[in-house]
Amino acid sequence: MPKLLRNRAKLNMKIKISLIDALLAVFILIALFNSLHAQTDWVKWEAKEINYEFQKTAGHEYKIDSSSFGMTILSLARNAYYFFISDLDGDNCPFSPSCSQFFLNAVKETSIFKGTLMFADRFTRDLNLFKGLNHYPINRANKYYDPEENYTLHSNKIKL
Amino acid sequence: MLHKLQSKIVILLVLVYFIFLNDFTYCQSTNSNNLFSPENRLRFGNSLYIENDYLRAANEFKEYLKINFNDTVQFKFANCFFKIGRFQEAADNLKSLFFSSSLSEEAKLLYYESIFFHKDIKSFRELFSQKKYYPLKYDFVIERMNSILLLYDDSTLPAPNLLFKSFPDTVQSQLNNFYLRKKFPQNKSAVTAALLSTIVPGAGKIYTGEIGDGITAFFTTLLSAYLAYDNFKSDHQFKGWLFTGLAAFFYGGSIYGSAASAQIYNAALRFNLDKEIKLFFEQRNYFLPEIDY
Repeated sequence: MPKLLRNRAKLNMKIKISLIDALLAVFILIALFNSLHAQTDWVKWEAKEINYEFQKTAGHEYKIDSSSFGMTILSLARNAYYFFISDLDGDNCPFSPSCSQFFLNAVKETSIFKGTLMFADRFTRDLNLFKGLNHYPINRANKYYDPEENYTLHSNKIKL
Repeated sequence: MLHKLQSKIVILLVLVYFIFLNDFTYCQSTNSNNLFSPENRLRFGNSLYIENDYLRAANEFKEYLKINFNDTVQFKFANCFFKIGRFQEAADNLKSLFFSSSLSEEAKLLYYESIFFHKDIKSFRELFSQKKYYPLKYDFVIERMNSILLLYDDSTLPAPNLLFKSFPDTVQSQLNNFYLRKKFPQNKSAVTAALLSTIVPGAGKIYTGEIGDGITAFFTTLLSAYLAYDNFKSDHQFKGWLFTGLAAFFYGGSIYGSAASAQIYNAALRFNLDKEIKLFFEQRNYFLPEIDY
């Protein structure tokens, strides 16, 4: 074979190879393009900022009930109890609502006389060392759920 | 060099095959029959129905029923709503099957069941008393449902032999037990509890079963009264009155609390009985017949 023809055949072969190389590169790019979509998920895995401060888990709200004069006096007395005794002593009442809140709710729901009787009963039940044996359901805060509605002597209001 | 060229061509062909493979498969789907034809919708709906995918099955049946009416499909469509707890829609869609359909008796039964499970007691009683859309083939089932509703409700109960006549003999004794407990509950009297606590502080609480509370009420009242007496005796007037007030506080609380405790006892008795009755019927699927819809 003459030298010129051999060189042309080599050149043709080189052109073919470079063309195939280019096509191969294009197809690899197309193939990679599909897999690159997965990277859009990076937002999901980004680092989150964590707050290491202690969160307040319990505490009393010092609200003043201004619905009536009597309720204002009572809520002030309750706030004083919260400030001087309860907040120092801690969240120790095993009931929900707590005895002080029960008293206020009971007075609001009924009257000062009936509310006081309801509170006297609640206070006696709180003194019972074996109250765990009673019927009280336990709520999420691990306290005996004992709402004031159950003690208004209106049977249709009782919640079990 | 030729060998290198061959290997590159093979790689290229493999890549081309993989890249276009998906496209070809998609193309094939468009060449087949119309997926949304009524027949295909019905087929797909039936398949979903068997798989208990009632919400999606109802959608397919709905599309099918827009073009063709078929009582079996209409029944299945209504039953889909029944199965997913949309009882009102189930009842509404059953009405078209009440007349001139081979499934009319089953449709009427499912209609009553829909109202029963919808807890529409008023409508159920109206239909039952007027015998409206009444499936004669399943009259014993409707009677059972009516008896169950009477037991659930606080209305006046008829005699047990009338109330439970449609139920099997094996459960008669249990039903009679429920009947007696419902008709004559072992309630505690709030007045008796209050009177007992007036005589002996805490006695009313013991009467209602709250023994610990009763004993606590007794001792707190007794202790306060004793301290009041002792302070008066020692001429400590302020302390005497203080403990007198405390004794009155506990005494009053004990009387009031005993009455409240009796009411809670009665409410708990009623609540537990209702729960027991509901569980009894639930476990037996409300004595409903097993019909392969």
